[in-house]
This record gives sequence, C-alpha cells and structure tokens, in this order.
Amino acid sequence: MTHLTLSNVSKQYSGTTVVKDFDLDVKKGEFVSFLGPSGCGKTTTLRMIAGFEIPSAGRVTLDDVDITDKLPNQRNVGMVFQAYALFPNMTVAQNIGFGLRIRKESESAIKERVSEMLALINLEEKGNSYPFQLSGGQQQRVALARALANRPQVLLLDEPLSALDAKIRVSLRAEIRSIQKKLGITAIFVTHDQEEALSISDRIVVMYEGKIEQVGTPFEVYNFPNTRFVANFVGSLNTADAEVVDPVKGLLSMDGFHFESAEGTKDRKKGDKIKIAIRPERFGFASEQKKANVVDSTIENITFLGSVVRIQVKIGNTKFNMDTFNNPFLELPKIGAMEQVTCSREAVLVLDE
Amino acid sequence: MKRGGIVWSWLWMIVGILYFFLPLLATFMFSLKAIKGIYSFKSYENLFADPKFLTSFSSSVIWAILTILLGIIIFVPTAYWVRLKVPQLRPIVELLSLIPFVVPAIVYVFGLVRTYSHPPLLIVNSPGLLVAGYTVLSMPYMYRAIDTGLRAIDVQTLTEAAQSLGAGWGTILFKVIFPNIRVAILSGAFLSFAIVLGEYTLAQYLAKPAFGPYIGLLIQNKAYEPAAATIISFALTWAAMGILELVGRGKQVQLVGGH
Repeated sequence: MTHLTLSNVSKQYSGTTVVKDFDLDVKKGEFVSFLGPSGCGKTTTLRMIAGFEIPSAGRVTLDDVDITDKLPNQRNVGMVFQAYALFPNMTVAQNIGFGLRIRKESESAIKERVSEMLALINLEEKGNSYPFQLSGGQQQRVALARALANRPQVLLLDEPLSALDAKIRVSLRAEIRSIQKKLGITAIFVTHDQEEALSISDRIVVMYEGKIEQVGTPFEVYNFPNTRFVANFVGSLNTADAEVVDPVKGLLSMDGFHFESAEGTKDRKKGDKIKIAIRPERFGFASEQKKANVVDSTIENITFLGSVVRIQVKIGNTKFNMDTFNNPFLELPKIGAMEQVTCSREAVLVLDE
Repeated sequence: MKRGGIVWSWLWMIVGILYFFLPLLATFMFSLKAIKGIYSFKSYENLFADPKFLTSFSSSVIWAILTILLGIIIFVPTAYWVRLKVPQLRPIVELLSLIPFVVPAIVYVFGLVRTYSHPPLLIVNSPGLLVAGYTVLSMPYMYRAIDTGLRAIDVQTLTEAAQSLGAGWGTILFKVIFPNIRVAILSGAFLSFAIVLGEYTLAQYLAKPAFGPYIGLLIQNKAYEPAAATIISFALTWAAMGILELVGRGKQVQLVGGH
C-alpha cells in the first residue's frame, strides 16, 4: 500500500530547475535512499516532503492526504539533520520531549516516552546531559530519538552520518536501520555515499541533475544500472569504447579484442560505436576451460586495499581494474606479466550514450 | 615568549591602564575633597541626600529597563528574521543599525520634536517617545550584540528542527532562539543600560527627568558632587559589565564544549 507519494514534483529557484518531474511511491515501512552527487536535488526533494520547500509543481501526499501546502509544523514528519540540530539549552531528555510538550501531552506520558526513546538508542544514563557533553554519534542518536518521539508518519534523514567518523558511521547506520525496522516506520534517507545507500536501503532512488535516473533495490541498481550515470556513480566501473561486430550474438570489439554481451545489441547495426562497462569484481583470471570473453592482458599495477586486491590490467590500449578477494595463500601475478583475463557474458554491460 | 616581548607587553598594558584609570582616579580623588583639607565622602552624602538624585537616577533606570525591553522585542525578531529569511539584506540592516553613530543626538532630538509635536502625532510629551528615542540610540549595540549571538548558533537548522517537531514561531523564538542567545541579549542590554544612564541630549530636550541632565545641572551649580555622580555612574556600569562577564563565562563553556 502506498504511504508517501510524490507526483510530478518540480522545484525551481529563479528560473533554475533543481528538481524535475519527480515521481515516487513509497510503501509503508519502506526504507528509501535518495542517492546522487552534490546539487542533484536530493536534499531539496527531502525538504519538500518536510515542508521546508514548497514545490513549484506537483503534489506530495501522505496516507492519501495532500500535504503539499501544509506548513512543516502541521505535517507529522520527523527529521534528522546532518548537523544534529539538538537544542543546546536543553538536556537530552528535554530535547527528546520537546515535540511531546508542544503537543501538550501529560508530564507522565512525556516521561514514559522519553525513557522509551532513551532505551531505544541505548543512552538511558544520558537523559540529564547536555548536547555538548555527548560525542557526535551520541548526539545524532539523540536527534534520531527526538524525531521518533512524536511517532511521525515518515522519518526523514538528511545526510545524518556525514559529520561522523568512518567507524561510527558504519555502526550508526546499522543502528538506524535496525530501529527503523523495529518500529516499522517509513524512512527517506539522503546520502551521496553509495556504500551507505547500498547497505541500508530497501530501494534506492539515484538522482542526477534534478531527475530520477533509476529507482530499484540496491541489487538492481548495482548490477543492472539503467544509465551510464548510474553505472558510473554506483560502484566502480570500467568503461571502454567498442564497436558492434555481430548484433544478434551481442559480439563486440574493443581495440581488436572480442567480447560477448548477454544484453545483446539487436537494436544496433554492425559497425555502430558503443560504450561497454564491466565492474572490476566481474573480471577474473581465465582458467583452462573458459572459452568466451577470454582476452590477453598485461599486469600494470597491483594495489592492496585490505579485503580486496585491485589489479590494473591493460587490454589493448585500454586499462581495466580487476578486483579479487585478498587471499594470503594465493600468489599474485607480477607487474608486467602477461595473463589471460575473462568475464562472463552477463558482466558486459552496454550503456546508453 | 621572549623576555623582551613580555617586557613590552607589560609596558603597553601599564600605559593603557594609566591612560584609562588616571582620569578616573583623579575624578574620584576630587570627589573626596568636599571638606577642605581632608578626604571624605561628603559629596556622596550630599548627593544621596538630594531628592533629585534619586528621582533622576530611578527615572533613568526605568527608562533603561523599558528601552531594553523594547529593544529585545524589536531587534531579536528582526535580526532572527533577517538571518533566517532574507540573509541578503543583512549588510543593509547592519548599515541602518549604525545610523545613530552618524546622526548627532541633537539633530535626532530636533527631528523627533519637529515630527511629533503636531497632530495627529502629538506625542512629544509622552515618555514613550523618550524610550523609543533611547531604543534607536542603543540600536547599534543591541542589534549587533543580538546578531553576533545568532551567528554563534545554526539558526536555520534549529528553526527547522523545532518546526519539524511541531513548533510554531512563538515557541521557536521563546523556547529555542531566546535561551540560546541569552548572553548576547544580556550584553546588548547592559550596553543599552550604560548608554541610557549617561545620556543627556534626548532627556534634556524632551524635558524628562533623567540622570544625564541631572549631572549636567550639578556641574553648573556644584563642584564635587558631579564628580561623585560620575563615579557612581561608572561603578554601576562596571557592575553591569561584571554581571555580564560572570553570566557569559558559564554559558560560553557550554556552547564551545559542543564541538
């Protein structure tokens, strides 16, 4: 059942369109991430849901109620900000209870809810602390609790992890996801970090220049990117110019080396110039049995990245990255050595120009 | 720091202290010479015994309190709104707030008398006009102090956070903005207090009892009492500044510690 709907939403600032024809249905309890580079319109879209921006066109509905023109304080929407935005003059408990006091709930109800929220974020002992006495991660957990205390219909998170260091970012994102699942609340999460979006979301909305490029599960967005932008933005990608050799078989030529693509190129003609894309982890060293998509390469560089080893190979005049899992008992090839590499037909993506 | 640097620092500090305190010390010493040949607090006794002293002083305190209240009511929402909604207007508003530095008080008071001495705006005798005038005179201090306080907090995000929790403008101003710029408001308030307490021109030409004209009158008729009144005025102003420093110190630690 659709919970939150954005229909043909656009936003313009003095003639410049920052969000264009944004259409999205979000189901109740779903965790959706808006992913894209800076200036792609993801935060503006989130702010239109929150009511801080009014769409230039289109409607926003929440549980079938049109909230497009409602003021932010009239929408039952919780928001978590990048800069925490805790009220410095109030204790943690007062921050969490702020919204409940505005709703004029009884003191006993407020106390009970605040305790419940403090337990949810594992900060029971910090109720009387002031924000400045907490670490960044703790402050953001309090901000999350404060946003949830009012039992909002939707939780909006505007790059809530960006100001935190890497380790806390990873643990807090898992905590956010766990709390969201526990409460079954609908959440919209804005990020420019693809790993964050891939790890936390039910669905990802990839945005670029104010438009939706692709909506899909993390698996779909990563493995089957619709556009060249999505393929490039989400994960690492090798791209190369190629030419169609056999449109029916999906046979392509790159620098004289032949690749077959499972996607097929039936809508193209022999000799058409195209762009192919292959993820680094889809490459591997060729075994004896492997026949298709086996090409000669030269080892150019080897970079140790911890769990992954990135090997740069040169095929013809084009350099490709190849990722393999780190295995301390496996011998790596030497730089300058000739090796045969391969990838499956399914790994060869043909991108729109 | 090198030894030479420390010597120079101390030297300049002593020069500065002497520059500021010698005239004050001289005034204080002079105020103690009301009885020939001995140092006494006679001039202070005379001053406190004069009913006009208490009347003028208490009037000025009332004008100062009303000026501070009016200043807070006008400048806090203005500075907040400018920062939140029309930040591009900040340089213009800042420039406007400096007008009292440019326009001499005598020009300003004649403008007020001329404008408000005919119907339908015949309010030249109203104490409200004096308070409004003082509010304008204290604007550079009050507005800028508040604006500086607002700069220290993330006004937009705090406002949006409060709005998303259901708060209206009144709640945001009184529960979120005011408490977080309390020190800045206090700073502006004490400066306004000091200005109003020593102000002469407005009260004199609008014919209202005030401490400034009282000191002016004393100077014309007495020798030692004006010096005593000046010292009292200084002491009160410094007491106000001291309170500000004490209040500010505790709050600053809290705001700085958050990062």
